[in-house]
Amino acid sequence: MNVPADNSAPPPGRSWRNIRQEVRPAMSRKGRRRQLAAWAKVTALSTLVAGSGWGIYQIAHTWSTDRAALATAVHSELVREVVLITDGVLTKPWVTGVLALPKSASLMALDLPALRGKLLAEGQVQVAVLTRNFPDTLVVTLQERTPVARVQAADRTGAARQLLVAKDGTVYGGVNYDKAMLAGLPWLAGIRLIKAGQGFAPIAGMADVSALLTTAQLQVPHLYRDWLIVSLARLDERDEIMVKAQDVPEIIFSRKRDFYKQVAQLDYVIDAAHGLEAAPALQSVNLSLEGQVPVRLQAAPDALAATPTAPAFSIQPSQRKTKREF
Amino acid sequence: MSSRIVAAVEIGTGKIAVLVGEITRGRALNIIGVGVSPSRGVMKGEVVDYKAACEATHHALEMAEKRAGIRIEEVWLAQTGAHLDAFYNEASVNVKSADNTVTALDIASVCELAKEKELPAGRSRIHEIRRPFRLDGRAVPDPEHLSGRRLEVGYWIVHGPESKISDNIHVVGGYHLEVRELVLASLATGSLLTSAEERSQGVLVIDIGKGVTDYVLYRDGHVLVTGTLPVAGDHVTNDLSIGLRVTTAQAEMLKLRHARATTLTRDKADKVWLNGDASFGDRQLPKLAIETITAARLQELLEVIRAKLGSAFVAEHCGAGVILAGGTAKLPGIEEAATRVFGLPARCGEPPGWVKEELHDPMFSTVLGVFQFGLRTAHEHAVPPRRKTGLLSNLTKIFAAS
Repeated sequence: MNVPADNSAPPPGRSWRNIRQEVRPAMSRKGRRRQLAAWAKVTALSTLVAGSGWGIYQIAHTWSTDRAALATAVHSELVREVVLITDGVLTKPWVTGVLALPKSASLMALDLPALRGKLLAEGQVQVAVLTRNFPDTLVVTLQERTPVARVQAADRTGAARQLLVAKDGTVYGGVNYDKAMLAGLPWLAGIRLIKAGQGFAPIAGMADVSALLTTAQLQVPHLYRDWLIVSLARLDERDEIMVKAQDVPEIIFSRKRDFYKQVAQLDYVIDAAHGLEAAPALQSVNLSLEGQVPVRLQAAPDALAATPTAPAFSIQPSQRKTKREF
Repeated sequence: MSSRIVAAVEIGTGKIAVLVGEITRGRALNIIGVGVSPSRGVMKGEVVDYKAACEATHHALEMAEKRAGIRIEEVWLAQTGAHLDAFYNEASVNVKSADNTVTALDIASVCELAKEKELPAGRSRIHEIRRPFRLDGRAVPDPEHLSGRRLEVGYWIVHGPESKISDNIHVVGGYHLEVRELVLASLATGSLLTSAEERSQGVLVIDIGKGVTDYVLYRDGHVLVTGTLPVAGDHVTNDLSIGLRVTTAQAEMLKLRHARATTLTRDKADKVWLNGDASFGDRQLPKLAIETITAARLQELLEVIRAKLGSAFVAEHCGAGVILAGGTAKLPGIEEAATRVFGLPARCGEPPGWVKEELHDPMFSTVLGVFQFGLRTAHEHAVPPRRKTGLLSNLTKIFAAS
């Protein structure tokens, strides 16, 4: 219910509210000063609003009728310097070459998304950020991919060409890498390169391969050095990654098992085999099984000469055996 | 979040007080600036020298604005002075509906009738304070939907000469500010110094200032009577000046140092120095004479208030006693004097807990009260939210409950 309030509601008729409050003739100096300040504030605000409105209208109008004029208006300084910030090996000449900026290009006129697209088209660049640094500098910040393996592909002429494969499966040419570093990368096998645009589609399963290679590189660098080929042929069907090393033609890893354990087992097996008096050459080591590691030898050692074919046996790496016991 | 910057202004005889408050969401108040200046051009709450009053008021407003660091948007002005008057008017209507249920229309029409009384020429209404409704003789706070035959209501209407009210408004207007609320000083002080419970029990608030004394009597939670007397602290000073043959300034100093509202000194030989600085012309005055003069004037003042209240004042209906405020209420023995006159316990008013320590001085009681009264009134005038009965609102309630 709208009961009239207990206290004074604005009374109808002759209320004090009917008294005129404007007293301009009798305003004091302080009052006039305050009034002037208020007017000045209102005027400034109105001017600002009107100015902003006019400006927005002008820009919108020019945009819809004469974009060239707008472009001319914003043509500022020419690009005099390109600054490169990268976490990899790419250089400023390479970036300048890829961007191919015209000599008369002004900083404001640059189409940054298009330039970024050019950089990203080179597979080696994973992230590219282009920033205008007024008045005349273009700052290019790059995050590069790191190769984990190599792959061979035929170019248009049919000649073999070495390509690099990153952790995310991207296949790219690779520029400015240290040749010795590249020579240490294993080759990929058991894959099919599929054309996609100017390059190739990313290789599936490279995340697992990269994890294996990184683990081996860190934990057993003396073994990793000898790895020649990594095959993904059985990755989809059996979740197995096959590695061909200099000494061991076939090492089988499972992507379902912890790579750290597997490389530790490999190290143990190779160490154990080398420790034998006959030092038999290993034909294959299968690390994909849980609990045992079947090992095949290339030739029978003297101790096992009675066996008609090369023996296959397994070890239990979890039980610490001495060389003699093995 | 909407907020307003409001200044509560009191143009008093002794001083001009301004408080700047930030009112958020119409309810929360934050005091952000204070301005005080000695009053000039004001006598007994009336502007007698426009220029001088403007200068003093604008100085206080400017000081408050500077301290708040923000521009005041509107002013709530305290109004006092002997020029104010009030009367009570009531009206009754027969409930129109066939089943004798009171409708909103009945309430609106009885309220209109009660407020309809013409004022003398040249006077403006300041407040229309409603007393409780009576339905067939019984008091009801909200008669709508109740059954009865006769609905009555009364209004205490406070009014004053338009010329004098506009003088006060124009003083503020001269600083390029608009007065949005006019609050009777006694209502402001009463609103601040009394609790809802005290107002319900019945309480008399007396604000003895420099030029005027304001009072308000509450009963059953409602304002029963308000009034203003043109007698206050200045009269005590004047009496001392005449009685002791000293200058007004000396009398004011004697009042502040030695005056009491009741006589305590018994020894006629007990004397005090007039100036107390051993200067040429300094002399001793009997302390008893000072106390006697002061006590007589204050007793007379309190008795005049009691006489003005007349039959409205019934000690049995004033359970919360008498609350004294204002600068003159700082005189020792004032509670005792009030107790003697009204036959009720009396005490000096204390602002509520939310008031900061630096605003506890009685000079801020009225301006603080203006805020309190203004906020309460604004809240009561706010349109109550309509009860939602639709399907959507019911669904909303269900989800809210879950």
